[in-house]
Amino acid sequence: MASILMLIASHEAENQTELSLRQAFELLQPKLKPPFSLAIPNPEEYSQLNHAILYGILCEPHLAKTHIKHLHAIVTDGYCSFIDLLIKVVDGLYVKLLDSVKRQLIWVSKEMIDVSAVGLGNLLVCLLRQIVGGDFSDSNLWLCSEVLNIFSTKWGCLLEEEPMILASALYTYLRLLADHCRSIHNHNTKLEALKRLEIEFCVRVLKEEFHLCLKIGRDLVRLLQDLVHVPEFRAIWKDLILNPGNFKTPGFSDISQLYCTRTPSSFFSLQITPEMEAQLRFLLTHVKLGSQKRHQSWFTKKFLCGPERETLIIDIVRFICCAHHPPNEIIRSEVIPRWAVIGWLLKSCTQNHVEANVKLALFYDWLFFNDKLDNIMNLEPAILLMVNSIPRYIDMTHTLLDFLFLLVDNYDVDRNDLIVKGVSSSFSMLVKQGVIHSLDVLTSCDVLFPFLRERLLSLFSDRKVKVYKDLDSPQSPQPLGLQHCSGV
Amino acid sequence: MISVKDIVPAAQNNISTQFILLEKGKQTTTTTTEGHNKACLALVADETAAVHFQFWGDECDAFEPGDIIRLSNGIFSYSRNNLVLRAGKRGKVEKVGEFTMTFVETPNMSEIRWIPDPNNSKKYMQEAIVSAHSRIFPPK
Repeated sequence: MASILMLIASHEAENQTELSLRQAFELLQPKLKPPFSLAIPNPEEYSQLNHAILYGILCEPHLAKTHIKHLHAIVTDGYCSFIDLLIKVVDGLYVKLLDSVKRQLIWVSKEMIDVSAVGLGNLLVCLLRQIVGGDFSDSNLWLCSEVLNIFSTKWGCLLEEEPMILASALYTYLRLLADHCRSIHNHNTKLEALKRLEIEFCVRVLKEEFHLCLKIGRDLVRLLQDLVHVPEFRAIWKDLILNPGNFKTPGFSDISQLYCTRTPSSFFSLQITPEMEAQLRFLLTHVKLGSQKRHQSWFTKKFLCGPERETLIIDIVRFICCAHHPPNEIIRSEVIPRWAVIGWLLKSCTQNHVEANVKLALFYDWLFFNDKLDNIMNLEPAILLMVNSIPRYIDMTHTLLDFLFLLVDNYDVDRNDLIVKGVSSSFSMLVKQGVIHSLDVLTSCDVLFPFLRERLLSLFSDRKVKVYKDLDSPQSPQPLGLQHCSGV
Repeated sequence: MISVKDIVPAAQNNISTQFILLEKGKQTTTTTTEGHNKACLALVADETAAVHFQFWGDECDAFEPGDIIRLSNGIFSYSRNNLVLRAGKRGKVEKVGEFTMTFVETPNMSEIRWIPDPNNSKKYMQEAIVSAHSRIFPPK
């Protein structure tokens, strides 16, 4: 039987979520029209009724209003079960859903906002996660626009019930705007209209609810800097730098406060679809180093095909650094390490602006590292990629180290002290925690460009930073360069 | 459900297993008395072994490398001198997932020479390994 919920390819196994919804609907169909039963359902019946009503709403648009009234009449758990089911459908089936079903999904999500359903925020996060960066297909732009419409029309309600969801939406749409504002898309009128609405929404959150934006932390700056060429954001950028008081947010007096706030890891999942997340986590948990080629090429074919899709690599690298921290048993195993996956992703970049942003994503936490607030696992992939590329892939070490010093010198010249401190404490912490044994591996590396070695040494010459893990430890190499580099 | 390493040639449709599709070869069209038929040889594998799989008819276009496939009631036997696993007329192949499965490319069950078991003429046993890896789809 053809599904009226989703597209099923030939030879595709039955989907359990779809099956459970359809079976409940078929079983309870006679009870889904008025007059509704007044009997109180037992927990099993309640669950089945939720399944059946959701299937009815999604597959019978003409009866959706009857079904939702029925739901309002029977609900006893603040819509918790219903939202859980909706999340299952969005996370597991969204891509395959028929267009009419997708429209119903958006409609019922708005209904859930109107009744302040329990778990509403999670549902909206799931919808945001289905929007794909670098994807200019009609169906993706449709979803961008529909979800944006939810946030714009339900603004007041969301601000009251789930304020942080507005920060998540801001993160998503700033990221999407970086794609949508690229000049090559100027002639697409549909996109142009969407872009205007996206800008309007982001500016509204930034201007009216800046206290929420602060919770995003440093990645807010990273996203905003990609949009400084857009007049609306240039104005906001100026205020951030010159007139922080304009945001009328008590306690906010300088952009460095954003720099010094680590972005919560939940934000990094927003640009990664659940399917992409499952594949990345599988790669980083099960696939052995040396036999990853086929998995890598399948991943590329599915998610990174086409020049526009390449910008996704920036989000993936940020996700791997900040939201996928493997336990020690994985780190010690033969499984492909994070640095190797990032090395592969960096090598897949064909456009300079993407490559630069990927490197920025990789080093971003280095620039503002504070050992009391930040996690060393966010720094680990970059150092290991640099160190493990010696000597065979020394070009990689060169390009990364060179980029890091470029950031130190230029990222924010007015707050250079902060960045120098961040980068030097990153290095010392990586040594102290034993991620690398000592900086000798870079500073005494014959194949490394001398000017990079000198830059490294001078980074420490002004500061008495302890760059050796344990001078007494027998495994420690003799700290030959120490007098020279610490200035003592 | 059995592991790929445990499949043995037999004239029976009784193999149920699950594997990931690694690579598809060129499609061929054969003309029989029943009309034209597409076929496509492929390399599939699970955590224990690899094997050559023959897709037939519309199966050829329904699966892509990286697909996780469940075979029910398949058969492992010689088809034009190639030892291949296939669904056959009574078996079924279904896509159950993508990507999230590990695999090995050696041993390859199609690259093993089998001889009748002297103790049980209905059964086959391994005689020799012809090649550790697939000679049709060499490792990448």
